[in-house]
Amino acid sequence: MLMISPKMASGVQEKQYTPCLLSFFIYNPTFGPREGEEEKKILFYHPSAVEKNEKIRNVGLCEAIVQFTRTFCPTKPAKSLHTQKNRQFFFEPEENFWMVMVVRNPMIEKPNKDGKPPTIEYQEEEILDTVYGAVVRQCYCMYKLFNSTFGRAMEAGGVELLIQKLEKFFYRYLQTLHLQSCDLLDVFGGISFFPLDKMTYLKIQSFVNQVEERLSLIKYTAFLYNDQLIWSGLEQDDMRILYKYLTTSLFPRHSEPELAGRDSPLRPEVAGNLLHYGRFLTGPTNLKDPEAKFRFPKIFISAVDGYEELHLIVYKAMSAAACFMISASVELTRQFCEQLDSLVGPQLTLLASDICEQFTINRRISGPEKEPQFKFIYFNHMNLAEKSTIHMRKTASVCLTSVHPDLMKILGDINCDFARVDEDEEIIVKAMTDYWVVGKKSDQRELYVILNQKNANLIEVNEEVKRLCATQFNNIFFLD
Amino acid sequence: MVWKRVHMKVRQSAIRTFSSVCCYTSFTTVETVSYCEGEGRLVVRFPVSGQTSGAEPARCVRMANEHYLELKENPVQFEHASSVNNVFFDEANKQVFAVRSGGATGVVVKGPDDKSSVAFRMDDKGEVKCIKFSIGNKILAVQRTSKSVDFINFIPDYPHMEFTQECKVRQPLGQTSPFPPVPSVTLCVALQTKNANVLGFCWTSWNEIVFITDQGVEFYQVDRWRARRFCRVKLLFRCGAAGNVLKCGFQVFPDKRSLKLQKSQNINVNWYQYCPETAVLLLSTTVQGNVLQPLAFRNGTISKMSKFEIELPVIPKPAKLSLSERDVAIATIYGQLYVMYLKHHSRTPNSPGAEVVLYHLPREGPCKKSHVLKLNTTGKFALNIVDNLVVVHHQSSQTSLIFDIKLKEPDCAVNTHQPVLPARSIHPYRVSLSGPVVVPSQPPVPCQLYSSSWSVFQPDIIISASEGYLWYLQVKLAPMVHLLEDKGKLMDFLLRRRDCKLVILSVCSQILGGHEEAGLPVVATVFDKLNQVYKDYLEADQSYTAAMESGPSRGSTAQKRPVRTQAVIDQSDMYTHVLSAFTERRDVSHKFIIAVLMEYIRSLNQNQITVQHYLYELVIKTLVQHNLFYMLHQFLQYHVLSDSKPLACLLLSLESTYPPAHQLSLDMLKRLSTANDEIVEVLLSKQQVLGALRFIRSVGGHDNVSARKFLDAARQTGDQMLFYTVFRSFQQRNQRLRGNPAFNPGEHWGRPVGEGLAEVLS
Amino acid sequence: MDGETATGTESWEDCMLAPVDRLRLERADSPTPGLVEGTEPGAGQRSAMFVQAQSFEDLTSEAEEEAQRSAAEENPEGPDEGEYKVQNHDFSSDSRTKEEDVSSEAWRSHKKHVFVLSEAGKPIYTRYGTEEALSSTMGVMMALVSFVEAEKNIIRSIHADGCKVVFLTKSPLVLVGVSRTSQSDKELLRELQYIYYQIVSLLTLTQLNHIFQNKQNYDLRRLLAGSEYLTDNLLHRLERDPGLLLSAVTCLPLASCSRDAVSSSLQAAKAKNLVFSILLAGDRLVTLIRKKDQFLHHIDLHLVLNLVGSSSSFREGEGWTPICLPKFNTSGFFHAHISYLEPASELCLILVSTDREDFFNMSDCKQRFLERLSKRCAYQSLKEALKCPTYPVSQVGIPDLRHFLYKSKSSGLYTSPEFPDVYRSGQEQERLMGLYQDLHSCLHHPTRPLRSFYRCGETENLLAWVTSGFELYLCFSPLASKASAVAAVNKLLKWIRKEEDRLFILSPLTY
Repeated sequence: MLMISPKMASGVQEKQYTPCLLSFFIYNPTFGPREGEEEKKILFYHPSAVEKNEKIRNVGLCEAIVQFTRTFCPTKPAKSLHTQKNRQFFFEPEENFWMVMVVRNPMIEKPNKDGKPPTIEYQEEEILDTVYGAVVRQCYCMYKLFNSTFGRAMEAGGVELLIQKLEKFFYRYLQTLHLQSCDLLDVFGGISFFPLDKMTYLKIQSFVNQVEERLSLIKYTAFLYNDQLIWSGLEQDDMRILYKYLTTSLFPRHSEPELAGRDSPLRPEVAGNLLHYGRFLTGPTNLKDPEAKFRFPKIFISAVDGYEELHLIVYKAMSAAACFMISASVELTRQFCEQLDSLVGPQLTLLASDICEQFTINRRISGPEKEPQFKFIYFNHMNLAEKSTIHMRKTASVCLTSVHPDLMKILGDINCDFARVDEDEEIIVKAMTDYWVVGKKSDQRELYVILNQKNANLIEVNEEVKRLCATQFNNIFFLD
Repeated sequence: MVWKRVHMKVRQSAIRTFSSVCCYTSFTTVETVSYCEGEGRLVVRFPVSGQTSGAEPARCVRMANEHYLELKENPVQFEHASSVNNVFFDEANKQVFAVRSGGATGVVVKGPDDKSSVAFRMDDKGEVKCIKFSIGNKILAVQRTSKSVDFINFIPDYPHMEFTQECKVRQPLGQTSPFPPVPSVTLCVALQTKNANVLGFCWTSWNEIVFITDQGVEFYQVDRWRARRFCRVKLLFRCGAAGNVLKCGFQVFPDKRSLKLQKSQNINVNWYQYCPETAVLLLSTTVQGNVLQPLAFRNGTISKMSKFEIELPVIPKPAKLSLSERDVAIATIYGQLYVMYLKHHSRTPNSPGAEVVLYHLPREGPCKKSHVLKLNTTGKFALNIVDNLVVVHHQSSQTSLIFDIKLKEPDCAVNTHQPVLPARSIHPYRVSLSGPVVVPSQPPVPCQLYSSSWSVFQPDIIISASEGYLWYLQVKLAPMVHLLEDKGKLMDFLLRRRDCKLVILSVCSQILGGHEEAGLPVVATVFDKLNQVYKDYLEADQSYTAAMESGPSRGSTAQKRPVRTQAVIDQSDMYTHVLSAFTERRDVSHKFIIAVLMEYIRSLNQNQITVQHYLYELVIKTLVQHNLFYMLHQFLQYHVLSDSKPLACLLLSLESTYPPAHQLSLDMLKRLSTANDEIVEVLLSKQQVLGALRFIRSVGGHDNVSARKFLDAARQTGDQMLFYTVFRSFQQRNQRLRGNPAFNPGEHWGRPVGEGLAEVLS
Repeated sequence: MDGETATGTESWEDCMLAPVDRLRLERADSPTPGLVEGTEPGAGQRSAMFVQAQSFEDLTSEAEEEAQRSAAEENPEGPDEGEYKVQNHDFSSDSRTKEEDVSSEAWRSHKKHVFVLSEAGKPIYTRYGTEEALSSTMGVMMALVSFVEAEKNIIRSIHADGCKVVFLTKSPLVLVGVSRTSQSDKELLRELQYIYYQIVSLLTLTQLNHIFQNKQNYDLRRLLAGSEYLTDNLLHRLERDPGLLLSAVTCLPLASCSRDAVSSSLQAAKAKNLVFSILLAGDRLVTLIRKKDQFLHHIDLHLVLNLVGSSSSFREGEGWTPICLPKFNTSGFFHAHISYLEPASELCLILVSTDREDFFNMSDCKQRFLERLSKRCAYQSLKEALKCPTYPVSQVGIPDLRHFLYKSKSSGLYTSPEFPDVYRSGQEQERLMGLYQDLHSCLHHPTRPLRSFYRCGETENLLAWVTSGFELYLCFSPLASKASAVAAVNKLLKWIRKEEDRLFILSPLTY
């Protein structure tokens, strides 16, 4: 991604390039152990256009790096390789299966006078390992969500099947990576929970319970509002990746009607159905369509005996979305979908307006949102709860931050600092731009605050943060 | 419904009811008990054979466990009516009088309980027509002629009392010889208009009595005359056109005020009904008798309530008395006074069968026709009020129906009700043949229910004079549970019953995975209904205590502690009787168990009832049992399980199995804001000595914590740097507070300071 | 921020600039972020002794190397190896535990490995174990380097959990550091840099290039044999000595009058080829006299300190050794006359001459210096000062303050109290140094430098503050409040200002 930097060097324009994906490949060294068989190791390579020998060479380098690192720490495998031009990230999700992502460092192209080729300056310190390491892990989790493990594919259909699955999945998925906009949030991979009063929450509880009772096929249910989670019947880690999929891929794709100002059209009253806004985000777009197919995406979640395969039904009414998961072994019929539609549609529509009402009430109580002096990111490792006033609503394409990238990177640095020890810690720094950045880590919780108070001192900053905690986090225990 | 159709075949005879009467004599066999004028005596005719064999045995068997009405145990027993023994019943005192040969051979009065039974003798001055004690057995009034009533001033401590008691035990009441003679005060009523007859009289209090003549009512106060134990009073009535002026002279007794007229009303009366609880008298007037005039008696005054007209099924031409006393009853239902009219079906073909029409009789304001109870059949009926239910006995089918006028949300001025349950007969009852006299040798035999010899009194009394029994009717809730499909309706019904608690709880247990397990929606509605009542009680109680605290000066009026009825099912009831057992069940999916618990908590919250800790414990226990920690986490996250120290501690105990519990409990303690000490302890237990100190400082308690505690904790960590830090910080504190770094003896951790430091620096 | 944090762009020429013109006569009482060099506490008054040194300026770009080579013509003759053999290395021999199983866990778990190899992949130096045992490993290292080079790319580092490998290619050498510390890549590179210069200072770069041009896979160990202990020692210093972190040296606390007396005595003892005369008390600078517009880079000084400190041989009389001061000139040797004023004394005099035949002149200079010194009876007070070469932090009078580093940028000098009791143990000291290193690398981040950094941790609270004039690193009790930290800074700066003429060399002299 190319952007023209505002600053003009000696009247001639500099070109600034943001980090971008150079290549992404998956290999298994045990598949081509003998000389000349190296190509067999490669299970997936992007860009596929790359010439075979180069593929082999790059894979070879990775193997070498991994091997070499073992001589110093046999237990901890290599995670990244820094070079002047790029960074490579290694991840071994399953034994002997290696995923490698190569990201080009951002660079500045300085044109030279008298027709000399432009000099390129690589900004080697811009990329944060933690962020892109997390991105690779995410790639795997996402693959696993829809395809289960590599190992399973191997069992099912050998290397051929695996290669085919990888092709199918990553060909599309890699296009949705937006490396230039990755940041701390990718490291956390958190879940944003919707703030809600007890009573409404309990209503949702009984809604979920009653639906699960009526439609006993449903094994798990998740409930979201405004792309924020309210209830998850899935275990935390499965929910985490499902949430990622919903909020960064599925919902944005369907959000157009909402964004267009008005909600999906009110469904006309049909055969005893009450009026409601309910609609399927997965599966049939229109139940009435005689041609309608009742196929739903299948997902894999962890279970006591390995994994569990499920249909994923996502049903939405206004801003409320309910995910129903049903064992993949059952065939889903039109009749079932209609039953679900007529049962859930009206209730969900009702709930949605309830929640909306409650929410606006609480909003009013908490007072009008005026632009505060600070922006913050909060994350709790215990429940993956995540909260950011820095990021605008994440869309499929990009997540826009409202602060300077350098500040975001400072957050990243502090986060690395915290990651080193698991003791509570607090870090307060003043950037050259005179912004204050505060990082607080207290029993599995991390809070990052950016204050725009140029001539405040340490004490005032501390007070400011205390105030913030008092207003935003008064109900949790934060060590001072 | 089946039952109904079956029954419609039964002959469409003129509807007769067991009439409600105030006194009654009887022979062994009777066809019906019909009222005959004035004194309320019963004329007896032979029965139409086979009429009473209405109930086929098959049905009896099937319904064996379904009798939801029964006659209470230990009925009042008395010598059954016979040629020599007349039996009278006084609704006001619920006393049965057995008068042998006009009292000459003794009068035995049996009250609701044994103690209140009285026996005495009085001279036989002709047949007794009516006999009643004033409230509290102070004065006995005896009517022998339609013109006169005798008063007997009754002394409770008079020796014959003891005697009766003994007599009861020792010998049958038939023997009368030892009865003490009771001289009576005869009150001769002389009326101007010769044909004015006393229809009857009612005591409205211990010394107030109202006479009902066919021309009006007269309300008197009788004073106990103290001078002599007994005396003779002569009273003269003179009925003037403008209100009755009472002229009475006492010949013997000086005190003129021993019997004085309070008030009187001129009005033509066909018959009357009296409701003792409310002291309301209902007079039937006009030719058809369907215009009813209620009169209320309160401390010496008669207040005329608005009269009203009962719609007759057919207007007779020419007009004649067509509203009979036996078709009308008066009683209080849910604290409101109602006149119940048993309306015969008009003789039109598509007749829906008879119905009971309820007229609401408010203390103020006009009386309104408010409810219609559909009987869907014809035949002979009798009415009782039991536990605010209208019970309609149907003689020919030997079954009874019950109606609950509150079961249906009032939708219009007049609400039509169907029976709550299918008709069932009263639970079979056995009696010993010999009536009152207990003869052990003879086994008890089944007593004939719905017998024509029954007479039914309000609210819940059934008397069989021929057998000498007075029963109280009662409802059995348990059998109803299975008869009423709609659990919501069932709850509404049960919640209004007197002894409902256990039944309700058992119903709850049943719908929670009992044999008739119901879906969550049903469970939810049931919980909501229970908690609605629970909440109302709590609120009432609160406002009461609030008023009490604010001082009796204000709100003292009408502020009396709200009674806690059985319908108030609180959390501990639910916990002990339903939920705790329920959560133990292995045969129910834990999904359902949790769903139910959440429903209950939801319902409580919806009614702003603070949830008790043990319920949360139950939830947590269940979740933990099934390793649903993430669920638990989410609940706590949304504060569904509200904060408390016990809960926080419970969470702490979970930490080993679920580490995040530690964080959750700390958060909770923090929110409680009264648990700083606990927080410190938790942190120290985690060896987070610095954390503890920083926390203490943040809440401003640093200056007065025990250095020892922290120094010890620091030492236990074995981290010398840490110890050094803590030690120095306390030295600095000492410096700041006392201008000297040294520790007070005992304050620090018990070893010489130097040593501590040496250890650090070694 | 006037170039304080500019990345390695400063060129050799800049370094030669005397900071005089930047000097301000008015001296602020306590520094503010806006303060100018030369006015912060401890700033030299007339001129500085050192090249203005930024830690990152040391990562010299190739361009710089060129500049040096071209400037290094006038010293053709190579070193005669004999010179090194003279030095006996009692200090080292016992400290060096070479024989180690390089496949053992013990070997792996060393906190920091350093390897030096030739571009042919031949082992030159390893900190632990023997080069022989590691030749294959080093072969792999070289392979990686050249593989990446083949892609017109440069390998920088490999990262695994809790372990990183850093590569520094300084043709004809390749240096590799493997560290389990939390140090940033830049810190590690800086250390490799030092090792590189250490080697250059023994051979000169010219000679190095010369050797490898002739013989691609020459075994450099033959030349360096017996000098490894210098590298070992330097590595040891890097872990303990804040000076190498701050790119500064610290002075022996001495009353300014006495110091001036000593300085003038040393100044008087001049000679034609004498470039620098340095008087040390252990690792502490007493005074340093330089030829006009000849500046000694702190790296070079540290190399000298390392040389002196690493060998006890100089105690046995006057040492005469050639030494290349790579930051001054990578291509030629200086000749250093090294001797202790008295056998038992800590006071060591180093006289650096350009002439290898100058031994006796230098010896004579020393004598003259000693005479003047004793004449002006400054010697006595100097000896007195030796008795307390450090000061306890308690002198500053801030209860929560445990330790601090203060560097005056313009003078390239720093001051720091002795380690308090809790940090007496070597391992604690290294831990604290590690913390300082973290602070340092955060503040001097190549692209995201910071003005100040406060960290509240489990073992201590740290505050670091960089202005255009000074760098300040403080270590507090973990229970110290932020307010007290802020207060401490001001109090400390006042104190330093008060003490500066004792703690710093305010008026360095030239011949």
